[in-house]
Order: sequence, then C-alpha cells, then structure tokens
Amino acid sequence: MLLRSGYFLKRALRNMRQSPVLSLASIGTVAVALALLAFFAIAVLNVQQLTASWGENLAVVAYLEDVPEQKVVNGWIKEVESYPEVAKVTFVSRKAALERFSQRLGDDADLIEGLGEDVLPASLEIALGSEWRSKSSLTSVVERLRKDQRFSDLQYGQGWLEKLEAFLLLLRVAGSALGGFLVFAALIIVANTIKLTLYARQDELEAMAMVGGTSLFIKLPYLVEGALQGLLGGLTALGLSFLVFQIILQKTLGSLLLITGIDTIHFLPPVWQGSLVVGGGLIGLMGSLFALRKFVRFGVS
Amino acid sequence: MIQLFNVCKAYQRDQNALNDVTLKVEKGEFVYLTGPSGAGKSTLLKLLYCAERPTRGQILVNGRNVTRYGPARIPYLRRNLGIIFQDFKLLKRRTVFENVAFPLEVQGRKRFEISKKVYQALKSVGLEHRLNHYPLQLSGGEQQRVAVARALVVDPLILLADEPTGNLDPEVTLDIMGLFKGANARGTTIIMATHDRSLIREFPRRIVSLDAGRLANDDLPLFRGTAVKAGQP
Repeated sequence: MLLRSGYFLKRALRNMRQSPVLSLASIGTVAVALALLAFFAIAVLNVQQLTASWGENLAVVAYLEDVPEQKVVNGWIKEVESYPEVAKVTFVSRKAALERFSQRLGDDADLIEGLGEDVLPASLEIALGSEWRSKSSLTSVVERLRKDQRFSDLQYGQGWLEKLEAFLLLLRVAGSALGGFLVFAALIIVANTIKLTLYARQDELEAMAMVGGTSLFIKLPYLVEGALQGLLGGLTALGLSFLVFQIILQKTLGSLLLITGIDTIHFLPPVWQGSLVVGGGLIGLMGSLFALRKFVRFGVS
Repeated sequence: MIQLFNVCKAYQRDQNALNDVTLKVEKGEFVYLTGPSGAGKSTLLKLLYCAERPTRGQILVNGRNVTRYGPARIPYLRRNLGIIFQDFKLLKRRTVFENVAFPLEVQGRKRFEISKKVYQALKSVGLEHRLNHYPLQLSGGEQQRVAVARALVVDPLILLADEPTGNLDPEVTLDIMGLFKGANARGTTIIMATHDRSLIREFPRRIVSLDAGRLANDDLPLFRGTAVKAGQP
C-alpha cells in the first residue's frame, strides 16, 4: 500500500482540484478554527510570561538585629547560598538601605535628612532560583531561616505569591479547557464540512465499493485529502495570526499595552507554530476519518 | 457456479422480500431473472454481491459460502464479479478511461497492463474514441456501454446485471445484449434481471421468474425443448 502512496496523493490532489469550493470550505473552516486557537494561545502565552516576570522579583528579606564583621556576613551569605532553592544572597548594609530609601522618596528625600545611618536595619536579600519560585519553596526557605536566631525578622510576599499562584493555575486550567474546547469544536466543524463533501460523492464511494475496492483503498485518498486540507488550513491560520499579531498587536495596540506593563509581545514559539500546522493536518485527518466511517460500509446491512 | 439453498430475506419482520428460494446456476449459463416490480429480483442480486445478507439459508458463489462474509472479504469476492446497474453508477468526476481502469487499479495491476486492458475493453464496446470524456458528456447508451466495459475489463467469472437496459432505447438495448452474449460466449456466467419480455424473446435463455419473493418458474428456453420445475436446482 505504501508503494502506491503516489497514487493516493495524486487522487487527493485531483479531488481537491475538481471540487475547489468544497476544498476551500474545508481549508477555511480549519483556518478560522485554528486561528482562533492561535490568538488565544498568543494571549495566554503573553499573560503567562508577564506573570512569570512578576515572580522574578520574589525574594526573602532577612533583617539583621546586629551587624557583625564583613567576614562573618560573608560566611552567612555562603551558608544561605548553599540552600538549593537560593540563587543569590545580597547584603544590604544600614547605609545602603537608607540610600535606597532616600532614592525611592525622590523629591521628598529631604524628609529623612538628618536621620542617623542606623535608622534602618541591615538585611540579607535572598533571591530564589527561577525553578524554585513557588509557594512551597519559599515557605521551606523561610522555615529554615526562622529557626536561625541571627535573623530578627523575615519579610516575604507570601500573600502575593499565593494570589499569583492561584492566578497562574486558573490561567492554566482555563487555558487548557478553552483550548481543548476550541480543538474539539474545530474537529466537529471540520468533520461536518468533510461529511458534506462526502455526501456529494456518496455515489462515487458506492461505485468504488461495487468494483471491489477495499475500505482502505477507497478511504485513503479522502484521508490524504483531509490531511492536506488540514495542513493548508493550519498554514493559513499561522499566516493569519502572524498578520494580526504584526498589524494589530504590535503596531496598533503596542503603545496601549506598554501602559499595562507589557513591554514586548511575543508571537508563538517555533514549536507551537509547527504544532499549529501539524495539528491542522491531524484535525483534517481525524475529521475525514469520522466522516468516512458512515460512508464506506459496502452497503452491507 | 452459484447455488442458493432455501434463501429468505426479510427487510422487515413478517415481510419477506425473498422466500425460500433454492436455485442453481451452472458455470457459463445465461439466466434471466424476471418478475414484476417488488418480486425480489434486485434483492437476489444484492445477496449475490453481498450488499445484503440473507435472513435464512445459504449462498454459494464459485464454491464459497458467502452468506457470512465479513466486510474485509467482500471486496475480494466482488473482484471476480462484474456488476451492472440500471443507473450505471459511473464515477462522474473521472474520465471514461479512468472509470474502466478503476477495477484494475483496485487490484493493483501494473500501469502498462491497465492501459492495454482498458483500451481493449473500450474498443470492444465501441468507445475507444471517447476515453477522455467524462460520463456526463455521454448519452445514456454510451454510459451503459462504459459500465459494461468496466464490468468486463476484469474478465469476471460472473456478470450480474440489474435492469441494465431499463433506461435505454431498443437499438442501444440490442447493442448491450450483443456485448453480454459475447461475454457469455467467452465463458462468463450471466444473471440479468429484467422485465423486458421482448428482449427475452429476442435472445432466449433460461428464465427464472420470481413472484412476491418466491421462485415462480424456472424454465429453460423452449428452443432447447426442455423445462424444469420451479424450485428444482
């Protein structure tokens, strides 16, 4: 059968040429369904990247009651940096803390003028590694630091982190559900569109069965046709979503999005682009398969 | 070549389209299947090419019991049969050549062999000059001749024809009958459903009559001077 793949491909291409309107309807259906999916994926991807970047600022601040010598501090830094979750520990002296505060006050910096250098406590800023930016890792680090008497107070954005995690989970679940629904809807629509094309060819399928065509021999050109239409639909969807991304998201909405803190909008990564096209092919193939089940039965009751 | 043993077919409960039909057709025979509309002629043919299954009884085609053939075996049975319909059932989006070539493509024959056999088949039905035309560009008679060429191109053991001349004018009918006679002379067993009495008179052969699903009569043509009783194999 593999040796005759050229025959099936030729037949599929010829079927498409002979019914251009029906073929375009199938390609268009796949394209619209997958373009919707692509737009949705672009939105989810960018929101995910934005929220992930919020997590980059996640750190535990351990305030020091008394500031020991620099040598001792360096020892503490090394010790905390040896925790697997910790990426970097920075020592912020009292003076540096005051300077930073003064900078933040900006024009109102004169409010703290005259205050002594020791008004703010020194601290260790403990940044977590990117793969450890989760509530559980943060809690684990904080638990260990709490047991240590050297650190008088610990500050970390637990409430904020919980909200972020809940939001990301919601995004993931909603994204998967909506994405799954869109793929399913695309599959149903494509299967029905292909079914319509098969209604037009019912006599042809019956005639093929009458001269001894096996189920596979009859179905294969239509399966190849469905897969080709799906691939073309996937490519069209990719082109369409790229066009919308370039024209609407980048040029028109770009400046508006900057206000919300999104400086760069990302398009789908190459793997996703490939998946969109291959997915189109698979949807076309599955759609044909569903539709053909009903049509090639050899008229056996 | 074909044997039916007490075959019944019911599409609905208590409504038999065929009722206890027992029949034997020898290799190389030409048999007319006659009877009024609804007598069960098409049903009997459908049972032979496995488009329907009998409700009861056994059917042997070329020595094989096809009664319980599954979908995977049916195509291979049909490759030994030529089937012709009143409405031709040609592939409208394929040329005459491609229509006749299709049964050979299905069998995986080589391209050179296909070209040769298709040309010979089309020549035998007088349509070799129409090979690049599409069915809808042909007259009804020409379309039926293409269907005959498609049926005969595989050198079938059995030709099953369901009212093949029902839509054709008398002149074309004679042409088609001539083609059937030729195939029969080359050894193909033919079962042809028809109600055309004049056709039977013109080309007298064994007549199997059905009435309300029952075998009403099974006569050998008078010129042979013999007749057999209904229901006798």
